[in-house]
Amino acid sequence: MWIRELFRSVAFRVAAVFALVVTASTCAVFAFVYWQVATSDLARLRTILVDEATKAAVEPTGNVERELARRLTRDLRQVEYVGLFDRSGAYLYGNVNRLPGMPIDDKAHLVEMRRQDTAATEPVIFVAVRRPDGGVLLLGRSLYEIYALRRSVLQALAIGILPTIVLALLTGTMLSLRASRRLQAIRDAINRIVRGDLRERLPVHRRPDDIDEVVRAVNLMLDEIVRLMEQVKTVGDNVAHDLRTPLSILRARLERGLSSPDKELRLAAQKSLSDLDRALAMVTALLRISEIESGVRRGAFGKLDLAAICRDVFELYEPLAEAKSVAMRLEAPSPVPVTGDADLLREAVANLVDNAIKFTPQGGAVMITAKEGPLVRVADNGPGVAASEHDKIFKRSYRSTAHKNIPGNGLGLEMAATIAELHGFTLRLAGDMPGAAFEIGPSERLKAAS
Amino acid sequence: MMDDRVVELHNNESTPLLLVEDEFDMAQEISLALQQQGYAVQIAETEGEVLAATRARPPAVMVVDRMLRGTDSLAMIETLRGQGNRVPMLVISALSSVDDRILGLKAGGDDYLAKPFVMDELVARVEALRRRASDARVTSLKAGPLTMDLVDRTVQRDDKLLSLLPREFNLLEYFMRHPNQIITRAMLLEDVWHYRTLPQTNVVDVHIGKLRRKIDAAGEPSLIETVRAVGFMLHVDS
Repeated sequence: MWIRELFRSVAFRVAAVFALVVTASTCAVFAFVYWQVATSDLARLRTILVDEATKAAVEPTGNVERELARRLTRDLRQVEYVGLFDRSGAYLYGNVNRLPGMPIDDKAHLVEMRRQDTAATEPVIFVAVRRPDGGVLLLGRSLYEIYALRRSVLQALAIGILPTIVLALLTGTMLSLRASRRLQAIRDAINRIVRGDLRERLPVHRRPDDIDEVVRAVNLMLDEIVRLMEQVKTVGDNVAHDLRTPLSILRARLERGLSSPDKELRLAAQKSLSDLDRALAMVTALLRISEIESGVRRGAFGKLDLAAICRDVFELYEPLAEAKSVAMRLEAPSPVPVTGDADLLREAVANLVDNAIKFTPQGGAVMITAKEGPLVRVADNGPGVAASEHDKIFKRSYRSTAHKNIPGNGLGLEMAATIAELHGFTLRLAGDMPGAAFEIGPSERLKAAS
Repeated sequence: MMDDRVVELHNNESTPLLLVEDEFDMAQEISLALQQQGYAVQIAETEGEVLAATRARPPAVMVVDRMLRGTDSLAMIETLRGQGNRVPMLVISALSSVDDRILGLKAGGDDYLAKPFVMDELVARVEALRRRASDARVTSLKAGPLTMDLVDRTVQRDDKLLSLLPREFNLLEYFMRHPNQIITRAMLLEDVWHYRTLPQTNVVDVHIGKLRRKIDAAGEPSLIETVRAVGFMLHVDS
């Protein structure tokens, strides 16, 4: 598992690329050295040998022999081969007693040669040059040393490059693991913040570095967001207070008007009161929705059982359904544990059930289901939701034109949707034949994010 | 005990109530409504006045606005409670969020009512607080022809055993603990069903209707009266 994580880590990819680059450049250096040794040195040797042989060939025989003798005495490493032959190819002088099978053409040729003192052979380059008197001068140089050097260069290459790759990969892995652990911690903190814990801050490292600078900046931003949110809340609270107190006074006065002896005044007060109350209920509901949306309620989350909540709502609404001759059934056989706010979830389910009963005609049926998933489903066999209205029903204050005569402020579904979202669930319309079915279940969006 | 309560009901004149509200018009309206119920209302506008008033003559109930002269009065409530003040207290507030409510109750308020409220709701809640008896440990309740055994969880009307569902039992218990007292729908939703908000419905009325059918005798007026637009009352003749 952690290996797949590792490959996804940016730091590891950087390390891998780094290792690759280091390996490649090391290889290039070695390749150059090898090429230099294997080709360039050999070429140089050939040129020198050809040059020496052609120059020596035109000298008088005595001089040539003296020169060859000196060459042999100085050759302590025994890498030199020399030979002087007459016109018929018979041996005259040197440590090669027979012309090797090669053309006499002033050019260097590679020949396998038996070493003087051993049975082993070695690669030698020879140059054979015809002299003015018809004899042949043969100069040769063993490649034994060059080949040995070539081998050791190859060995060094093999020995040197493997640790380089391993070391680079190892360092990269370690660095990326450390970096990814830090990033993981940051991601965890962000997730907690997203879930509504605004007091949480991203972890700051002991040694400040560039990631740390970003983290500090984000933390500062969070502080600022919290400060602004508190400011908004304070302003909101003050507005609420400044608005609600006079409205309370207004309401109290209207209530007194209800006991006026003047019938017309009583009626006016009555109407004003019900208008005022409807407006206030709307405002209160909107304020609550924005309070829930702000996510502060997540602080009060606890373990609870969705099945028990559905049972509660079922019990509360059963008499109402009965009074309307709507058959209501509950299917919640086993506990459905979730983490959340029991009051809010009860309110969300109650809103759905309330709607279902409202829109189901006499003799209809409403079915409440709670099961693992977690999933709450409230289905009815009422008129259902027309296809043209699917997109609209979750919008603020939308009330189907077909149900203008049914009371309600149209915020029920939005409230339920908002509460569902607070819990990382979504409210969706799940098939509408026959009737309507609303489901509160895990949100695809949040599932993908975590 | 029942007789005491009925006597008390007629003796509201002597019930001192301290209203802590700095908004003059609001104070006047609340005071007017409570005076109609016979309370002797004293108004305090500052923390100093509250402390002086509670020391001079401890009120039977206090109604406290959450916001006094721009400052949160929860600190004052905590101070009062810290000094041993146990007067039942209704906190009224323009702050209606759940957290605000919880904070208000935590600080020492006994009930919390968000502005703007129906005046009858306030009166009913003040009444409930005033009569809040320390009878949490009684084992049986009696109201008119009804007798409730809280241990066995059984109810009898005269000698006849009534069969009630658990929720109906809780509902009736609430009424029997507050006889001759207006109980609002909001109070029932909060205290019996533990809902704070509910979509506008007559859910409570339907439950009361079912309960009535079980406890009422044929041909007699219901024991549980509907009180205008306000709520319900378990009417018991002494």
